This record gives sequence, structure tokens and C-alpha cells, in this order.
Amino acid sequence: MMDTQSIKTTIKQSISRVTGIPAETISDSASYEGDLGLDSLSILEIAVDVENHFKFQASDEELTSIRTVEETVDLVRRRLCAEVA
Amino acid sequence: MGVISSLGDSPALLHSALCQGRTALHPVEEPGFDDLNCRQAGHISAFHPEAYLPEKNLRPLDRTGQLVVCAAKLALANSGWTADKLAARDVGLVLGTMFGSVHTISKFDRHALVQGPSYASPMDFANTVINAAAGQTAIWHKLRGINSTIACGSTSGLVALGYATDLIRYGHQTAVLAGGADEFCFESFCGFERAGLLYGNGEGRPVPFHHRRTGFALGEAAGLLMLEDWEAAVSRGANILAEIRGYGSTYNPASDQAGNEGDAIVRAVQAATEDAVLSLVEIDCISASANGSVNLDRDEAFAVKTLWNGYSSLVPITAIKSMVGETLGASGVLQAIDLIETMRTGQLPGIAGLDQFEPTLPSLDICRHERSVRVRSGLVNSIGFDGHACALLISEPPDLN
Amino acid sequence: MTNTTAVVVTGIGLVTPIGTGRQQFWDALMAGHSGFGPVKSFDTSSFGVHLGAEIADFNPCDYVFALDPETIGRSSQLAIAAARLALQDGSLELDKTDRRRAGVCVGTTSGEPHFIERFDDHYVSGELERVGKEFITRYPCHVVPGHVAKELGLAGEAMMIPTACAAGNYAIAHASDLLRARKTDFMLAGGADSFSRITYTGFARLGAIAPEVCQPFDRNRKGMVPGEGAAMLLLELKERAIARGARIYCEIGGYGLSCDAHHMTAAHPQGEGATRAMNMALIKSGVSPSHVDYISAHGTGTPTNDRLETIAVKKTFGQLAYEIPISSIKSMLGHTMGAASAIEAAACALAITEGRIPPTMNWVSQDPECDLDYVPNVSRACEVRVAMNNAYAFGGNNSSLILTANSA
Repeated sequence: MMDTQSIKTTIKQSISRVTGIPAETISDSASYEGDLGLDSLSILEIAVDVENHFKFQASDEELTSIRTVEETVDLVRRRLCAEVA
Repeated sequence: MGVISSLGDSPALLHSALCQGRTALHPVEEPGFDDLNCRQAGHISAFHPEAYLPEKNLRPLDRTGQLVVCAAKLALANSGWTADKLAARDVGLVLGTMFGSVHTISKFDRHALVQGPSYASPMDFANTVINAAAGQTAIWHKLRGINSTIACGSTSGLVALGYATDLIRYGHQTAVLAGGADEFCFESFCGFERAGLLYGNGEGRPVPFHHRRTGFALGEAAGLLMLEDWEAAVSRGANILAEIRGYGSTYNPASDQAGNEGDAIVRAVQAATEDAVLSLVEIDCISASANGSVNLDRDEAFAVKTLWNGYSSLVPITAIKSMVGETLGASGVLQAIDLIETMRTGQLPGIAGLDQFEPTLPSLDICRHERSVRVRSGLVNSIGFDGHACALLISEPPDLN
Repeated sequence: MTNTTAVVVTGIGLVTPIGTGRQQFWDALMAGHSGFGPVKSFDTSSFGVHLGAEIADFNPCDYVFALDPETIGRSSQLAIAAARLALQDGSLELDKTDRRRAGVCVGTTSGEPHFIERFDDHYVSGELERVGKEFITRYPCHVVPGHVAKELGLAGEAMMIPTACAAGNYAIAHASDLLRARKTDFMLAGGADSFSRITYTGFARLGAIAPEVCQPFDRNRKGMVPGEGAAMLLLELKERAIARGARIYCEIGGYGLSCDAHHMTAAHPQGEGATRAMNMALIKSGVSPSHVDYISAHGTGTPTNDRLETIAVKKTFGQLAYEIPISSIKSMLGHTMGAASAIEAAACALAITEGRIPPTMNWVSQDPECDLDYVPNVSRACEVRVAMNNAYAFGGNNSSLILTANSA
């Protein structure tokens, strides 16, 4: 099972692909709307990109509830455990 | 005016290249095109949107969006519409396009087919609607007026100019950024080749009116004109470049059948002259739609003869698609931009590569080389292979007195 | 004083998930019929949603005669059908008119999506050699009005305005401008879209599709339901309609178009652009807000649209908003994309002539943020002298069209 640091890196790379923000400048606690200034479409794009990378499908409720990098990491960890179990 | 084209990103650069007879055609070296026969096109190989839009993330824009947002930036700067002026007035946007972005539509669909629909890209989906580029450009530049998209095939851009002119005349808007764009992409290139409309390689020639023409060369561009109500433009101290006098937009329901000799463009030009209150004798030059298509070029030549009743050999004709290729939704707009530059510089571009005019066509005053012409009023033609025809009449700026 | 240069509606043709032709459509609308069912035109098993509003039993051979129906896409077939029905309904024989002064203006979201979908099927299977010459002559969206013009022999303008889910209003607005300027004598104006895998995939990915029911403005609404359809209005100047003894449904008043310039898929959070469009339409029509008797809402059924639309209506009408019935027929038809606002304009024209307004179906409980009179579940007798038809689209395109009773 992937370690948390690798998950974070992958997620930040997704964010970077979608937003152009360099991955290394994105803090672990960054909020999408407040800190990164992203709109709803960008946030959804990041979420789908992350899902595609880790090959899981989040529910609509899960997708609309992630607001920070940390919450996204938690979602991925939860789902990866669930897939493995 | 703002333009992004393979021959330059300003009206002056574009016009200068056309007057020099430079061609935009070059080999298609992008990956993924190997299966196609036609290997040359007028695409913009060195387009760097970040050079025009350095301050923001470009990911939300696809290529068509990038072309239009960049052309809009140039046109707004060029016409003196600063950010605070845009905040104070609702400026409209009317964009003509044939495909929007068929590449984005296809990419979105294919990604969903291969990866599964739950991994479809939301950002790409937003760009699958044909009015996406117009929407993106409005967001980017804060254009809150009437926002519309026109899709009439390769006449789209010219029709968009006419539509926008009417919006101003009927009092719906005092300022509208209007024009057209189509990106070069595999999907449309493949489609045109399969349809046998491209000129092909070897002996084929994408040269308008040429004795051995075999079809057109596909190009790529975005062009926008800032159209304004005359009084509003004068009162804000705008630099007025030209006047759109009138237009006509028609259709030929029998376009599949040969032998109509340009009936639709004849009627479009007649409608344009009525709309403009201008007579044919006042037209000093024609920017032809001709692009190397066997039938359409012929139709246009006969249409000009019909319209000028035998005096067609007195009106100089150019065909810039001989150099810039068929830019679809942008085509009529590039023609309009170049005509306005011709009015300014007194130089009309020649038709590059026309060493042998087709002998069965009526005698026309074809400009084979750059020529000095005094143009007070000019005609722009746009004819689509599906039956659409549009004619636009442009004059020098009216006297301030 | 009769304004004989007013633009009037003299014929209505529609093909919709709840009925084909004016009478069938209106009867179904009044009875609250639903056009929803499980999607049949493609496999939705890998989607999380399966509801659509498709048209069953549409036979293009009933309407397409001059062209070969097999050589044109479904959107063109639907548009031709609606056009023929409108001409029939308006008792207009094209042979007796100058076809150079008869045009067509269509709105759409996808054009002819099936052809790009087939192209993509070949592409992903590595079989691009199967893409034929017909792709370019059948796919780009301008072929839809082109096919209508070819089928009917129309030689005036053949225009496509692909402003997505507001396109029908744009088409009718443009057609009315051409008629007022006397550039043409007759216009067939409306919208057409056929059910599209691409559209369905996109809206599903945005989480916008309702899993079970489309219930605009309801507290528990969960989304929209993609559909398909076409509507055409036959439009002409009143003086011509009177001269040829045509039945006049209503007049086309003014229109308002604006752009949010805010977000590609979500409306402005304060309904700013929608409010401007409504105000512009009222001013151009010379109608005061207090004279509006009915509003046909965009009302897709998504939580966001319905809330923001309600805000915009309140901003435009103030306290009057509570007195004007506003309903969404998407509660029955689903979201027919580019055809939607054309079908809704037809419904407004019929509301004016019939003196009844369609309901918003499936309304069960009130959302405190959507507290207007949405005509829940039952159609209602209502004298409608002025109707407002609102439609909004991706790219922040906002439209409002005013239709008014024929002034004597």
C-alpha cells in the first residue's frame, strides 16, 4: 500500500497539471478555494484526475466534500485501504 | 483588430506577408498525422499563448480557446479598450466557428471510452460546447455584453461580422468584438482529406482559379474586429479604421448539384449592396473566397461576371487563401482584416502561385502580384462547400465632418 | 393601434419526448406527462445514472422526402420534422412564396454528435480507415439548418447559432431581427438536439444528472435529465400574416442577451447576468415587470441552477416575483439542450392562446430558497398576455425572450 508521502506527491502533481501551480509550492494544508484560488470546475478536475490515477471511484458526496489537499490525501488513503480489503 | 495567424500576429504583419506572396503552407510534422496523405497545411507551428497571456493558468483553455483569447487581447489593446473601460461598459462578443473544437470533443469522448465515463474530464467537457471559446474569452476579458456563436461552415466568420453589425445597428449593443476562429487538428484534417476536399500532394495545387487546382490547403487562425457604433466610437476618441457598410447571407439548397454558377454568392452580394446602399461600381476591389476548390472557385468567377455584367475585368480581385490557406471560421475575418490594411497601405496582395489561370473561366482582373490600388470600398466574399454564402462590404472610415 | 410590423408566430412544430406536433405536445404538457425512462440509445451500465428523455418511435421517413433520411443525422431529421410540422400548422405553402426570402435559424448544443461518436469509436479501435467522406458533410453543426434548407428548398439565410442550452432563444431572436429589418419574409426558427453519449457523459461527470426524478425547484432536487428534441416556430411580420389569413398565436416581443463572464459551467452566484438579460428583454419589449403573467423557467432541476434562477427572478421583479407563476417544463421533457428554449417558447405561445400554463411536475416539498409560485403539479387556467422565456447556457450565456398576446 502506497505511503502517505507518495500519495501527497501524486496529488500535488495532479493539482499542478490542472492549475499550473508548481507542485513543490503547494503546502500540505492548502485549501483549494481559499489558498489556491480554484473554482469548482478546477477542483472537480483535480479530483477526477486523482481518481483516475489511483483507479477508484469516489461518490458525488465525497467529491464535493474535499476542500483541501489533506482531505484529498485522506480520501485516497481510505479508498486504497477499502480496495485492498 | 486582433489576429493570430501563421503569417503573423498583427494585421500589419499579416498584410505585409501576403503582399510579399509568402505562403503559410509547411509540412505537418506533428505526431499522429502519419496515416494521412496530405502532408502540408497552414497551421500555426509556433503558437505560444503564454507569450500573450503570461499572468494566468492556461489549462482551462483548449487550443481554440487560446487562439481566441489571444486574438481578443490583441484586438482590445489595439482598439484602446482597457480593463477599466471594459468594467464600465458591457462589450459583446460574436464568434464564428465551423467546429468549435472538434479535437476537444473527440479527446473528451475517447478518454471516456478508454478509461470509463467516471474518469471523463470535467474541464474538457466545459470546452465541448461549440460556444466554449466565446464563453472562455468573455471570462478572460470580462466581456459581459451579448455573447453569441455563429456556425455556418467556412462562412461563419464573415456572417459573425454581419450579425454583430446588425446588433449595433438595431441598438442592442454599442460595442462588439466580432470575428472567427478554427484550430488546426487531426480530426478536421482527417475529415477533409477523407471527403476529397484537400488538394492532396504531388501534382495537386491549392491555388485559387488555377488551371490545375485540386482542392484547398487547411489553415488555422483567429481574427477579431472591434465593431462600434459610430457616435460612441467618436465620442470615446477611438481610432476608426473602417466602416462595415452592409452584408448579405444566403444559402444554395441545390449545392450538391453542379451548374448553379454561384447563384448564392450573387444573391449575397446583391443583398449586401442593398444593405449597404452602395452600388457595384463603387467597389474598388474584391477579396475572393476562392481557395483552390475545383467547383467553388469556378462558381465564384462566374458569379463575379454575372454581377458585374461583363465589367468584371475592371475590378481587381485577390484571393488570400492562396497563401494563408482555408482557415474556415476565421477565413472571412482574415480577408476583412487584410482588406482594411489594403485601404490603409494602398497595396493589394496578389494570388500566390497563380501561374496559369483556368482558361474556361471568365476573364477577370486577377492580381497575380502585389498591386497599388486605391480602395475606398471593397467586397469580401465567403462561400462554403455546403451551400452557405456571405458577402460583406467595407469602406474607408467616414469623414469626421 | 395595430403594429403590423410586429413579428408573429403563425406555426408551431415540435418533436419531443412527450409528443410530436402541437396538439399532442400541448395535451401531454397539460396532463403532466413524463418523458423520462432508462436510456436506450447507448449502454449506461458503467455510469452511475441511467435516466434520460429520449424520443421513442420517431420515423424520419414520415418527414424527410427530398433528402435521403439515411444520409443525414438525427438532429437534422428532428429539425426537418419540426420545420414541416410548423409549415403545416401555419398553412404555409412554400411553392407560393419566394424561397429566396425564406430562411431557417437553428440553435443547438451538440449538432450531430453521433458522427463524432462513430469517428471516435473507429479512432479508439485503431480503425480510422473506416472514417468515410461523409464525416465532413454530415457532422459539423451547420449541416442541421443546411439540411432543413435543402429539404425545403429555402434559399435565404441558413443559420446555426450553437449557444448550447440557450440557443433556441438566440435563434428566435435573430430571426425576429431579420424579419423586422425586412431582409426576409418567412423564418423557421428554433432548436434541435439528439441524444448524445458525449453530453450524457459530461453531465454525469459533473454530478448533474438526477438519479430518479427531475424535480425543478423542489427541496430535494438532485439534478437534470438529458433529453432530445426539436421545435420550430414559423415567424413572419404581422402584415403578411394578416394578408394571407394566417392564424396568429402571439407576437415576439423584445429579447435580452448577456454574458456572466464568470464561469464556464456555473451561473453567476448573484444571478447578475440573468437579471440583466431579463431587464433588457423587458425594456426592449416596452413591457413593465408588472405586466408579465407567466415565466417559463430554465429550471433544469439542479440544486444550483434553480436557486440562482430564483435569486435572479427576485432581483428583476422584486416583490412582484411572488405574484408571477413560473414553471419548468423540463420537469416533463427533461433538458432537450439546444431545443429546450425553442420548445419552451412554443409552450409560451400556446399558453398565451390557450389561457393555461404548464405545471412544474414532481414538486413535493418547498425549498426555503425557492419560494415562488412554481405551478406545482397541476396545469392552471391563467390569462397570459405577456410571457417571459428564460434560458441559460455554458459559457455564461443568458437569454430572455418576451412573447405577447396578439394585439388587436
